[in-house]
Amino acid sequence: MKTKIGMMLLAAGLGMAAPVMAAELVVIVNPKNPASRMFSEQAAQFFLGKSSLFTPIEYDDGVAIRNEFHAKVLQKDSAQVKTIWSKLVFTGKGTAPKEYKSAAEVKKAVAADVSAIGYIDKAAVDDTVKVILTVQ
Amino acid sequence: MKRPLRSSFVIAILSTFTLSAHAIDGPTITISGFGTAALTMTDTDLAEFIRPNQSNGAGKSPRTGVDSNLGLQATAKFSDRISFTAQGLVRKVAKDSYGAELAWAFAKFKASDEIDIRIGRIGLPVYMISDFRNVGYANTMIRPPAEVYRQVNGGTLEGIDLIWQHSFGDTTVTSQFAYGNAKTRSPGNSSVEFKPATAIHIIAEHEPFTFRFGRADAKFSVYGNAPLNGLLTTLNNVGLSTVAKDLKVVDCDGSFTSVGMTMDYKGFLIQSEYAVRKTDTRVVMDTTSYYAMLGYRIGKFTPYYYYGNIKQDTPRTYAGLPTTGPLAALTAGVNSVVKSALQSTNAVGVRWDFHKSAALKVQVDHISPRDGAGAFVNVKPGFSGPVNVYAAGIDFVF
Repeated sequence: MKTKIGMMLLAAGLGMAAPVMAAELVVIVNPKNPASRMFSEQAAQFFLGKSSLFTPIEYDDGVAIRNEFHAKVLQKDSAQVKTIWSKLVFTGKGTAPKEYKSAAEVKKAVAADVSAIGYIDKAAVDDTVKVILTVQ
Repeated sequence: MKRPLRSSFVIAILSTFTLSAHAIDGPTITISGFGTAALTMTDTDLAEFIRPNQSNGAGKSPRTGVDSNLGLQATAKFSDRISFTAQGLVRKVAKDSYGAELAWAFAKFKASDEIDIRIGRIGLPVYMISDFRNVGYANTMIRPPAEVYRQVNGGTLEGIDLIWQHSFGDTTVTSQFAYGNAKTRSPGNSSVEFKPATAIHIIAEHEPFTFRFGRADAKFSVYGNAPLNGLLTTLNNVGLSTVAKDLKVVDCDGSFTSVGMTMDYKGFLIQSEYAVRKTDTRVVMDTTSYYAMLGYRIGKFTPYYYYGNIKQDTPRTYAGLPTTGPLAALTAGVNSVVKSALQSTNAVGVRWDFHKSAALKVQVDHISPRDGAGAFVNVKPGFSGPVNVYAAGIDFVF
């Protein structure tokens, strides 16, 4: 038990120490999605389970861009976001977003689903996805 | 928290369902879980501290049974519109041993982007945090305040509900209408049945506020409560059938009306509920209960304080019965079942999000029972409050 908690603490510490990148973030949708522009607040509601009009695509816990997106666009820390989703999931009202490791996988998921919404580093954008919001 | 996996086994079983919707893909199964591992103790051995509807609780020696639980949930998504969710919950309730319950098992049909219809065993949305009160990780406090959360026992409904979520500008309104039957086991082999129950649960979210209105109505009956049934039989035998009628336990009408709010603004947290219970039987007393929690998030730490209280709105004694002579004992019996458990709680605690999927909580409750033993059980002679309750636990989700 002690070692397990120790490992958890270590993991938490490493999480905090992860560098926050200052790159530009973009919110992306499927090219077939008729939406062309979106405000941060609108994008945030899909990632906080307030609307199921679009299907959010997330990164795995601990991927740096996830923390950055949560702070800048959702204006919450990742523990708060997790708490919000645990309410939705364990009441059966929502399904937590699918999580992926990399921008390439997120792009693939967005390209495969007309209603999907995701976010990637601006440098990773290509014509398989459509940018609807740029976050400074 | 979430692990999507394709299961060929499930595909084989459910292929008849999925043929029309997803002939090639099969359902996506998601398994997730939550739990709390906690120790609870008090500063007295003359009574036991419980969560609502538990039969045994904690005294001076620390116990795991009060605040610990483990939940497992599986969701099978057959198409964008149809999914099936089942949740199992292990905890101590009604009996002094851990038991597994099927908390929910329902099919969900997404009628539109805004409307969901669920059929099966669903959560009964009596309180603001009804549906996630067992998910410690989703809550700031270690447990829901008993003053409000012991007013209606009954977490699950066999029935149907409709959930409508709509945004009016920056305000998201979620309205839930539920209808069905519910049965809850209580300590001592008794049970409470709601047949039928209806519930309305409306939440308006406007950052940083959430406002909630709830109303539940039920035709309810209490079965198998031997002391109460014995009392009613005696009352009828001695010709006090009007008194027995006032203390009826079958086909009673009850309602529970509540309002609540939360705020999460720049680290300041507020969570509060106010609830009124009304019934047409004196054994389930009319009550007014409320609590308010204030917290402040500093990085990964959230210290908080809460105050909770309950008042009884019907008289605590039955007027007009003889207090001397041969029926005095019967009068005492009647008066003992028309008194609700009154108490107030001041509590302080801290939540520490020490891990990305786990939080440690420590909470101290200072509980003051009034005119009786409050919500404490297995009370021994000489007990009197106030009582301090100490609890520490780790909440996790996966």
